[in-house]
Amino acid sequence: MRRMAVVLGILLSVTAPMHGQELDVRAELMRRGAPPDFADRVAQLVTAAHREGLPHQDIANKALEGWAKRRHVPSERVLVALEGLMGAFRAGRDAARMAGISAPPMTVISSAGLALARGMTREQIADVIHAAPTPEQAAGGLAVASSLGAQGLEHAAAVRAVNDAFRDGSPPEHMLELPSVIANLIARGVPMSDVARSILEGRGVPGGPGVGIGPPGNGVGRPPGVPPGRGPPNLNDLPGKAKGQGKNSSA
Amino acid sequence: MKRHRPLSPDAHAHLDGIGRAPESADERRILDQLNRALSHYRQNLQVPGPEVDDRVMAVVAAPQSTHRSLWRWFFAPVDVRVRPATAFVAGVALVLVLALVVPRVLPRGPGGTDLSSQSVLVQFELRAPAAQSVSLAGSFNGWSPASIPLTRTPESDRWRVTIPLRPGEHEYLFVIDREEWVADPHAHAQVDDGFGQSNSVIMVGPRGVARL
Repeated sequence: MRRMAVVLGILLSVTAPMHGQELDVRAELMRRGAPPDFADRVAQLVTAAHREGLPHQDIANKALEGWAKRRHVPSERVLVALEGLMGAFRAGRDAARMAGISAPPMTVISSAGLALARGMTREQIADVIHAAPTPEQAAGGLAVASSLGAQGLEHAAAVRAVNDAFRDGSPPEHMLELPSVIANLIARGVPMSDVARSILEGRGVPGGPGVGIGPPGNGVGRPPGVPPGRGPPNLNDLPGKAKGQGKNSSA
Repeated sequence: MKRHRPLSPDAHAHLDGIGRAPESADERRILDQLNRALSHYRQNLQVPGPEVDDRVMAVVAAPQSTHRSLWRWFFAPVDVRVRPATAFVAGVALVLVLALVVPRVLPRGPGGTDLSSQSVLVQFELRAPAAQSVSLAGSFNGWSPASIPLTRTPESDRWRVTIPLRPGEHEYLFVIDREEWVADPHAHAQVDDGFGQSNSVIMVGPRGVARL
């Protein structure tokens, strides 16, 4: 009997963090001054997402974002947005299943859902998933493709650029540099249509990944041209671009 | 089946060596047969000599190395008595540990991408001449509006901060004077935030980020 109690104690100590994980968002919202009923409704949605196998941490993070923007976003709108995000994740899960991943991991569900929300089609999502060596790499590829699309690159070209990177066998993390490369090209005056045409005609991204980023091994994420203490810079600090150009002011 | 009559107490005592021979001729005959069989058994019995005892005691008394003892202990079969209910609970606990601990151990990057790459430093900059304070809020800090303040550069009206970020996609905004949420004009893109406004987006690569 004592042994059973010990095992049950271990079980409770293990399950408590899981329960707490779902309640973390409620506690965090309360800590930030959110009313209990709002925090409760958010926690219910996060718990429902968790039970449904959806990326519940992303839902929780979106709730924190909504509460942070409360001066501009009413609470009801936050809850509607959370339900909309859950719907996007469900659609992403369906798209991943249609592409052949019977039990897509959260990372794929999240990336596919956001890609759909940003205008990619299910067929384009399937293209990326099929080209990726693993589901985890597919998640990264989908994130990059949707990010390129958000930059203004047409989705077909974005998917082609990602799939070409997969087929080239380059390290998957290098693919994350594609948005920086595109940003660099745009800053140098290359029209986005030319970038898309180059990709779709099989000539790849002009310059390829790494253009304007600098060689590796130059400190922790520190591109060349950046003195120690300043950290990795924006485009104006990169070689081939005169300082001060392309800076837009804001505020 | 032929049943023998049991031996008399005198015959039992004689067998034990503490009495004289029984008077019954039948019993004496049986005892003679038993004695012959016993003699035959003793003649053919091979009793180990004292050298065998010495060898056995030498092995038992010899000190064994710790490694060898552990090795034997590790592979020796052990009888374990476990209640099925206990085994079930322990199994569930093990599954929960694997399900909860393993995902936490594996780093998960933003944008739903699992990456093991270490963080890279990324600089954020905003020109805000009239601002009294500028901070950075995004998916990397739980959208906390005050946890990452920018510093005004002494030579200009620009505000800057450099923070470590994991490779992957990050959404963020600047917060001016704790009230105004402002997009980053140098971000890779601006995306719908789901609340009717926009978030800035950067994709951080393993070697940093270049922006507009």
